[in-house]
Amino acid sequence: MKYDILKQPDSAVAHIMMDPNEEMNAEAGAMVAMSGHIQASTTLRQGKGGGIMGGLKRMLAGESLFLSVFRSGHAEADLYLAPKLMGDILPYMLTPTGLVVQSTGYLASTPGVDIELGFQGLRSFFSGESIFWLNISGEGLVLLSSFGGIYEVDVDGEYVVDTGHVVAFEKNLTFTIGKAGTSWLASFLGGEGLVLRFQGKGKLYCQTHNPGSFGRLVGSRLPPRN
Amino acid sequence: MRYEIRHKPSFATLFMQLQPGERLTAEAGSMASMDGAMQMITAFSGGFFPALLKTFLGGESLFVNTFYNQSDRPLDLVLTQSTVGDIIRLELKAGESICLQPGAYIAHMGGVSMQVQWAGFKSWLSGEGLFKLKLQGPGLLFFGAYGGITERRVQGDLIVDTGHLVAYSPQLKMNIQLAGGLMGSITSGEGLVNRMTGQGKIYLQSRSIGGLVNFLRPRVP
Repeated sequence: MKYDILKQPDSAVAHIMMDPNEEMNAEAGAMVAMSGHIQASTTLRQGKGGGIMGGLKRMLAGESLFLSVFRSGHAEADLYLAPKLMGDILPYMLTPTGLVVQSTGYLASTPGVDIELGFQGLRSFFSGESIFWLNISGEGLVLLSSFGGIYEVDVDGEYVVDTGHVVAFEKNLTFTIGKAGTSWLASFLGGEGLVLRFQGKGKLYCQTHNPGSFGRLVGSRLPPRN
Repeated sequence: MRYEIRHKPSFATLFMQLQPGERLTAEAGSMASMDGAMQMITAFSGGFFPALLKTFLGGESLFVNTFYNQSDRPLDLVLTQSTVGDIIRLELKAGESICLQPGAYIAHMGGVSMQVQWAGFKSWLSGEGLFKLKLQGPGLLFFGAYGGITERRVQGDLIVDTGHLVAYSPQLKMNIQLAGGLMGSITSGEGLVNRMTGQGKIYLQSRSIGGLVNFLRPRVP
């Protein structure tokens, strides 16, 4: 498999050149174009927990991921994948350390990559966004997507990121959730929301823009839904 | 203070580095990420009552954050805006001022002061609001917009679409008028426009949120 990321950094699209008998997983809806003979199927991946209650809880929490699997079959195949929002795509080669990815930051991955929904109960409450996290392990390629540009931070010590701006981080980083500044009132009213305070040594991937913020800017002027 | 505006012009973002002892004030919510050692103090913008004024009349956030480097090494800070577009850095000399549209303000440094001023009824009829947010130097100012930013000198007059106005020199006068004749104004979709007269600078954005809202409105289920 070979890949090429085109039209970076604002309107990135991934061009995947698959060998025969290869597979590619992607978030549902990411397919832009593909060779005619590619077999595509979609599954619903859900968070941990079982039974009816587990299912209900997951639906309420919004932790579900529709994944498409693309199989090249007997011949080489071409596949173009793009995220929903304008921004960048970053290819990341998974290491044994593992990666935690924000749900909207996941675009695609190769079959050896394991995706688990939910990570240590991490959630984003006050910023009003239903962000959930993917616990990614295994081996292979992960394509990360962002709203805006992606910038990498080599954390060595302590680094603070607004939760809406985190795309992914390596699992060896420890973190705490907290408020950004000195005032809880400001966090509620002032739009700062929650931040993740990372400690240790590892890589962190951030996006320059917050989809929730832009959404609220436009959405606040749209008529309310009935 | 060192800064770099990256990902221009669509996703312009301020990558800054504050030296020990330096401080910067920014609109609440603008911090994307920062070094763990950076101090961030949240306060009402200019005091409680001025902040209320700025929120309800000037359209800005109640709060501002002041980032303060109290450590002994340079600290990183990444500031951004809610909207998708460009960011401009403006160096204001003492006494020099500029009026900003609500939402355009991002951050400032140095002795820049922010005030809400009466803009006049004509400004309100133009859709610019009864009050304007005026920033006066000396100091450094960062503001952003939806889309790319174009700077124009007004010498005499210039007609602008108010949805595209980002910032303007306070001494410029505004006057609303029909875009064309009565039928022309309605059919062209331009409606009312703003005639700005005087001598000064204006900053225009290449897209308008109003335009995007109008596009989306009939498509909302």
